[in-house]
Amino acid sequence: MNTTAQKAAAPAARIKRRTFLKAGTAAAVGSFYAAPSSASAESTAPVVIVVHGTDPKKMVEAGIAKMGGWAKLFKPGAKVAIKPNLAWKSTPEQGGNTHPDILRAFILAAEARKVKKITIPENTCHPEKETFPTSGALDAIKGTSAKLYRPKASEYKEVEVPKGKICQKAKVSRDLLEADCLINMPVAKHHGGATLSLSMKNWMGAIDNNTRRAWHRQGLHQCIADFSTFLKPTLVVIDATRIMLDHGPQGPGKLAHPHEIILSTDPVAADTYAASLFKKTPADVPHIRIADEMGVGCSDLAKIKVERVEA
Amino acid sequence: MKWLRRNVWRLLTLVASVILALGFVPENHPELSALLTRFSPILSLFGAAAARAWFGGTLLLGIPLLILPLFKGRLFCWRICPMGFLAELAGKLNPKGKGLIHHVPMLNKALALIVAATAAAGYPLLIWLDPLCIFNGFFAAWRTPFTVAALATGIGFVAILVMSVIAPNIWCHRICPLGGLQELLMLLARRLTEGRKAEKPKSGDLPPAAAPRPAAVSRRALLTAIPAAAAGVVAGKVFGPNGRKALRPPGADLEKINALCARCGNCMRVCPYQLIQPDLGDSGIDGLFTPVMWLRSRNPDQEQYCFQDCVKCTQVCPTGALRPLTVKQKHDLAIGIAEIDRKKCVAWENKEYCAVCDEYCPYKAIKLEKRGDVMCPVVDLSKCRGCGACESACPADPIAITVKPIS
Repeated sequence: MNTTAQKAAAPAARIKRRTFLKAGTAAAVGSFYAAPSSASAESTAPVVIVVHGTDPKKMVEAGIAKMGGWAKLFKPGAKVAIKPNLAWKSTPEQGGNTHPDILRAFILAAEARKVKKITIPENTCHPEKETFPTSGALDAIKGTSAKLYRPKASEYKEVEVPKGKICQKAKVSRDLLEADCLINMPVAKHHGGATLSLSMKNWMGAIDNNTRRAWHRQGLHQCIADFSTFLKPTLVVIDATRIMLDHGPQGPGKLAHPHEIILSTDPVAADTYAASLFKKTPADVPHIRIADEMGVGCSDLAKIKVERVEA
Repeated sequence: MKWLRRNVWRLLTLVASVILALGFVPENHPELSALLTRFSPILSLFGAAAARAWFGGTLLLGIPLLILPLFKGRLFCWRICPMGFLAELAGKLNPKGKGLIHHVPMLNKALALIVAATAAAGYPLLIWLDPLCIFNGFFAAWRTPFTVAALATGIGFVAILVMSVIAPNIWCHRICPLGGLQELLMLLARRLTEGRKAEKPKSGDLPPAAAPRPAAVSRRALLTAIPAAAAGVVAGKVFGPNGRKALRPPGADLEKINALCARCGNCMRVCPYQLIQPDLGDSGIDGLFTPVMWLRSRNPDQEQYCFQDCVKCTQVCPTGALRPLTVKQKHDLAIGIAEIDRKKCVAWENKEYCAVCDEYCPYKAIKLEKRGDVMCPVVDLSKCRGCGACESACPADPIAITVKPIS
């Protein structure tokens, strides 16, 4: 508690030096927040849809139907960007990466709705030529127009994080910034540094290595929360079909099989529910608590409306 | 045209050798790129003899060049060898220099004997004078990312060409130990058949005056080989420990690497992440240009370290300086040990949530100890393999975790 207070106080001085927000960036931020579902109306309780089942494809369909259907998510001509977690050379069974069947279900649905393009940028930890095939992601994009890639230095754009307390600048994958529809699609797993790796932590694959390293030096949890005030997903889809309980994030670790996919437009609410699968509360995962304090979303499980769907 | 017809084999071998030396082989068969170097008996057979190890059937590739000279003399040198071909062409640039060769003593047989005798003694000297290795080293040096140090294995090739322009033919006729070895074998064969053929000398043979008398050769050979073997034993005692001073690639023969390594550049070229670089002095003057691991990533956009399932470098060493490893063997083998400097560590010193070393460690060799709210890393020495994943990913500035050689 004490450390957080210090961290919050220290960067306040830096705000003076902060340059003014560029208009373009502001517009981009606004456009992300196209709520895909009437279920998540503003100022009412945040909704988390939890789909239980065994076939990821059917689970996605059932979850999206509950959210309000594909048509509201994928508009014709839209630029869709998906950010799965494909950081490690880990097979779908080992649970280190987002399940490829979930990824493919979204890609096929987006193509069917005639979106302009589908990009999947991921700053992997292991080299992408290892992680993309091993994770099953290469198979997931097979035969589609989706572009799966690890961004080069020129494919990042430096942005300001206006509400950031420590992280005030970050280099972010351009395609994620420019998307009309941004889907944050992590896998839920244990993490040595961040306690749990869920949707907000997943943005660490959206930024470049220098930003990533700086976050570890300067205060990981605060930086994760800072960045989540900036990059707002249209939809959060957390893969909890199997979850890694230890030795994360790389694994292989001990697995549990909740057989769930979690959907929400509130990343904090989605992460809070996902943390409960690990028997953890926002008090155990500082970035979830801090994100709530910064107004990103709701971390009070009692206030979150969990709607369960069977598929 | 006539020249072309005469040299068609040499041209074909040259092209094939360049392709192999540049490493243009199917990606899942890196061992093919070592083919050229394995044809040299000096590298493959003498190397294995010195290493006191049998590391696979590819050793047999060295045998043809031991048998051919028994029947055909130095046919390989004059009609096949790519290094000899280029040296000869370089010599043609300076026809006036031809006479210089007569001022240089015949070193080649003595050099061959030194390599053979010291290899038999277990610590080979001058193995890096092998011409196929020198040829290979030049082309293997052209790899990315391009650094000045990376060029080190190309020095011998340039030296041979320069020397050939100044004094044409000097390399093949006076220095080359592979040529010397074949000449010795040729003389041996001639001596064995001498009795039968003494009455009728063949017209193709060298004139009797130029051919050294076999008895003189064997006496001189012993006078070279015995002191050389003794020197090899002493060198092994004196310089052997230098091998351990630097961080070596997996499978390295730590006692003998400085002597066994021919500086052919195969391991450096084949490493997918360019971690293997020529040593520039860490392991002593005798270890110059031997392979060392630079685990710290030189590419800020990608963590690079000695990957768990990669054994490519161990499959391309012609001399056994790096022994072939299976993936399973590699998992059990430590190439170094990671050390944490707690004063630099963001978890220990600054109480930050980090654990990136634990995150990247493929062997789960980082134990996290709770200090207050924060998990702090400790290296589990029984599990650490020294792969450098932690070092390449460590976000601290300066880096807090580094891999040290096993002493």
